Amino acid sequence: MRIKIKIKRCDPIKEGACAPFWQVYDVLATEDMTILDALMKLVSEDDPTIAFRKSCRSAICGSCAVSLNGFPKLACSTLMLPEYRKAGKIELAPLSNYPVIKDLVVDFDRFWKKMEGVTPYLTPSSGSVVTVTGEDEAAIDRSQKCVMCGSCNAVCDSEEADSSFVGPSASAKAWRFAGDVREGYKTKRLEKLSNSHGVWDCVRCVHCTEYCPKDVSPLEAIERLRSEAVKEGVTDNHGAKHVLAMAESVKRVGRLDEAAMTFKTLGFLRSFGMIPFGIKMELHGKMPHPIIFPAIDNIEEVRTIFEATKKKKKD
Amino acid sequence: MTLRYAYYPGCASQAITKESNDTTRKAAALLGIELCDMPAANCCGAGLLKDYDYMLHLSLNARIFSQAEKMGLDILTICSTCLMIMRTANDDMKRDAGLLEKVNRILFEAGLEYKGTIEVKQLLWVLKKDYGLERLKKKVTRPLDWLKAAPFYGCHSLRPSSALGFDDPENPSSLEDVLRSLGAAVVEYGGRTKCCGFQADLVNLDSAVALTADRLLDAKNNGADCVVTPCPFCHINLDNYQAMAEKKAGTKISLPVFHLSQMVGLSMGMTPVELGLHRHLVTPKNV
Amino acid sequence: MVRHDVVIIGGGIAGMRAAIEVSNAGLDCAIVSKVHPVRSHSVAAQGGINAVLKADDSFDAHAFDTVKGSDYLADQDAVDVLCREGPECIEELEEMGAVFSRDERGRIAQRPFGGAGYARACYLADRTGHGLIHVLYEQILKRDICVYDEWHVLEITVKNNSVRGVVALELATGRLHRLIAKAVMLATGGYGRVFSSTTNAISSTGDGMALALSAGAPLMDMEFVQFHPTTLKRTGILITEGARGEGGYLVNASGERFMKRYAPEKMELASRDVVARAEQKEIDEGRGVNGCVLLDLRHLGERKINEALPQIRELSIKFAGVDPVREPIPVRPGAHYSMGGIMTDVFGKTPVEGLWSAGESACVSVHGANRLGGNSLLETIVFGKKAGKEAARFCVEEPDTRDFPEDALKECASGVAALFNRQKGESAYRIMEEAGLVMSEHCGIFRKEETLSVGLKKIRELKERHKGICLTDKGDVFNTEFQTALELGCMLELSEVILLSAISRQESRGSHFRLDYPERDDGRWLKHTIARRHGKGYAIEYKDVNITRWKPGERKY
Repeated sequence: MRIKIKIKRCDPIKEGACAPFWQVYDVLATEDMTILDALMKLVSEDDPTIAFRKSCRSAICGSCAVSLNGFPKLACSTLMLPEYRKAGKIELAPLSNYPVIKDLVVDFDRFWKKMEGVTPYLTPSSGSVVTVTGEDEAAIDRSQKCVMCGSCNAVCDSEEADSSFVGPSASAKAWRFAGDVREGYKTKRLEKLSNSHGVWDCVRCVHCTEYCPKDVSPLEAIERLRSEAVKEGVTDNHGAKHVLAMAESVKRVGRLDEAAMTFKTLGFLRSFGMIPFGIKMELHGKMPHPIIFPAIDNIEEVRTIFEATKKKKKD
Repeated sequence: MTLRYAYYPGCASQAITKESNDTTRKAAALLGIELCDMPAANCCGAGLLKDYDYMLHLSLNARIFSQAEKMGLDILTICSTCLMIMRTANDDMKRDAGLLEKVNRILFEAGLEYKGTIEVKQLLWVLKKDYGLERLKKKVTRPLDWLKAAPFYGCHSLRPSSALGFDDPENPSSLEDVLRSLGAAVVEYGGRTKCCGFQADLVNLDSAVALTADRLLDAKNNGADCVVTPCPFCHINLDNYQAMAEKKAGTKISLPVFHLSQMVGLSMGMTPVELGLHRHLVTPKNV
Repeated sequence: MVRHDVVIIGGGIAGMRAAIEVSNAGLDCAIVSKVHPVRSHSVAAQGGINAVLKADDSFDAHAFDTVKGSDYLADQDAVDVLCREGPECIEELEEMGAVFSRDERGRIAQRPFGGAGYARACYLADRTGHGLIHVLYEQILKRDICVYDEWHVLEITVKNNSVRGVVALELATGRLHRLIAKAVMLATGGYGRVFSSTTNAISSTGDGMALALSAGAPLMDMEFVQFHPTTLKRTGILITEGARGEGGYLVNASGERFMKRYAPEKMELASRDVVARAEQKEIDEGRGVNGCVLLDLRHLGERKINEALPQIRELSIKFAGVDPVREPIPVRPGAHYSMGGIMTDVFGKTPVEGLWSAGESACVSVHGANRLGGNSLLETIVFGKKAGKEAARFCVEEPDTRDFPEDALKECASGVAALFNRQKGESAYRIMEEAGLVMSEHCGIFRKEETLSVGLKKIRELKERHKGICLTDKGDVFNTEFQTALELGCMLELSEVILLSAISRQESRGSHFRLDYPERDDGRWLKHTIARRHGKGYAIEYKDVNITRWKPGERKY
């Protein structure tokens, strides 16, 4: 069937700047046609000026991630007609959160720099000979699957708000090392990752995991990094403090005791600093009252579970 | 037949957003849905316990599930984060028998067991599917036809779709469908599936507020006169932090934000006081 | 004007391994690649990398398998080097952080591959190339090695038969740059795109081999093209030999495991050329299913497939709409690997001073007339390392008195301008498509003088037509049409050389099968084909095969 494809083109007007415009093309689509097939057909038969990256065609080189109807997809492994039927349109645009070079080609410079920023190579401690088991490998296997397509960073809401955020893909890479049994500088890595713009800045929007074409689950890597950081005692930051406060609260009363948690997370002075906001909240009845928070029924079960989990870890 | 659920309001809705909890109880009664309390239910951890220890997060959620299992009921929650956390935990355990066994060995020490039989749902889904839109329409006594609502799903109603899977995460429709059934007009805008920023509030408030501002302005610029969300945390950022968002964006927003339950209650004739609207920071003048 | 000690063209596994070696020697190295290093086609290698690791395996066994697999055309001294350096290379990769799959005893797991008498292919699930390329890229970052990514080399500048550097196009800006270097190494991979049905990436256009010809270096054994037995029908996407290594069957329309008639002992794990020919025969004689045979993995079970072959399950579902857990996968042969390439010695050195090559773009020769699975990844590491070391030694020992010709950049630029200024002409894409079909039809698995000659004539016509192509995209920034035009030039040149070499070799050996000369003829043809530019065409010469231990014997599987 003949369908219309809209492509967000971009005329490079000067270095680092582009003038965007939409261009519509007519394509004779077949059931087995992928987005990349369509683009290759357009470029070889209709308009050779359309720029896009491509190489392996089998979802392993990571070149061809584009925004399809607002969400990142690998052009080579996305069938066109099912997407057309779902959304009623095919609109291709360059990945969000990246500067555009031309048409669907974006500047990956920041992406690579973020990757470099997490010391992306194994740094084994000297003299240690560690055997690697299948189970050890399984712990970091998902991170290993990454093809660096950039889809996760494109759709990351934390990155949208703060372009200095470490980002899901660098975090997944960081976990590959922090979680490797041979790694000698685990704590140092976790300390660095717990700084500002680090893994605690993630808003848990789950976009990265949802749109990763290789099942890397960057959010899971971020959760593991946080978890290991807390375990390694890297807790002098709001994110870790909040987690510890939550754990303490649940152990004590089985629920989220907001008053106690706010203090524990922000510390006395910062909580103090929130007073004007706090007053407004109080006037609307939204302030937690630091009365003695009643525990849930059978709180002992919760405490037993805490102990049992700790014990099982040691086994 | 009366619908019955094990009711899990979540910690936020029992405190800071308690207006949603109170409204839900009253609305459920009006709809004829029975909400059975779970006084021994613990906090789901909101993801923070997952950041603390994965097995602990699974085990504590399994404890909640075991209670519902004993009651022979599925869980209904009015918090999207509880929904996502519980459903992903449930999904992990259902997909991996070895993992469920590990969890049960921990639960055993507390005299508990989870067999993996219950489902977790949210009010939005129950209204759309279990209860049904036709049935819902019949209960409406005060159609919300003066409202132009911007539906705000928030992240945790939609992703990860492997564990949630009720709505298409790219093009969801349940919130629009429910709102239309209540008589309201619905506004289309891109931000409805995006993040409000709540989880970064304590770590990077500036970023969080930037996201909040963006969503509110997106809704407003597309003609909305209010925002409706099923998630209490989204409500906190969109409502409680709206003043900060205005400051960040450098412009007035003045967009009231409602809980889904309040829309339901309002359409069935509940009063502003009953709905707890006085607890909102952004005064809903148009009600 | 930028100077480096060594410039490596191509950022795949061989190129990066060489760069690491140059850097370790304390020299200044730069990688120039038309795609970002991690996008290089090495990333798509699936099955494994061979190495003799266990006590009951031996270098001799590995070497013999390789020599036999090569149909006795491989240089045995080079094969020896390949096999002996295997274990050390695996160890180094582990130290760098590679995570090889483990067996139940915690040792590096090894699986059987075609043509091998022992299960010696080490692997990283079924994405070995991907695992290795990322590990090497990490090491590049660690050493802060300079990478010019998305820079397309237009020429290797040579003066008085010695290399002076390269001229490259910066894709993002359209600017031409000179990179002056003492040594240049080509690690640009294969030329699969020359055929319309190939496992290779869109970027695998054999640029480096053409650059080498321009620089005065010879290409060797170009007639030997490996057609991989298991590629998906429409796309040519590779389904790893590892699937057969794990126990998969090949069946025809009647459900028969037809390899029994062609290679009764090794069956599906005979050498690739034997299996590819068998499949093609089954298809040609009407026992295929829609132009394919079937790769049946159902009996392996879902768990085994998910564990050992998860990527190919995904590829099969995504690109062929078939779940191998439930249905057999329709497959057919596709152009996969170039046994031939730039002629080098065991140190990666070419006859042009200062020019090296390693990896698929080189021909040492370790693969002779047919390559064994698992030996390509091994080659890239072993010879990438060697070439890097040698290039570094050359830089240190040789005096740097040479200059970069003043006019080289200008001449290159005017050539580019001439193409851009042309107002009328054909589309590069059109010619590329035609060329691919010509090669698939005339230079495939079963060849004969008649069809090869017609193919040669057609390619020469296309070469003429290429001189008059016209670009629609006249822009500077990211001009992929211009890139395609450049690649097309390389592909047409290589196509001509492949056809000439194939016409000249009047015997059948390994992957080169002549219907008019169906037997192997060691008396006349135990030699390598060497092609060089000569005037407006090419000259074909021959060189003896280095036989140290195994005299050519019967090749049965």
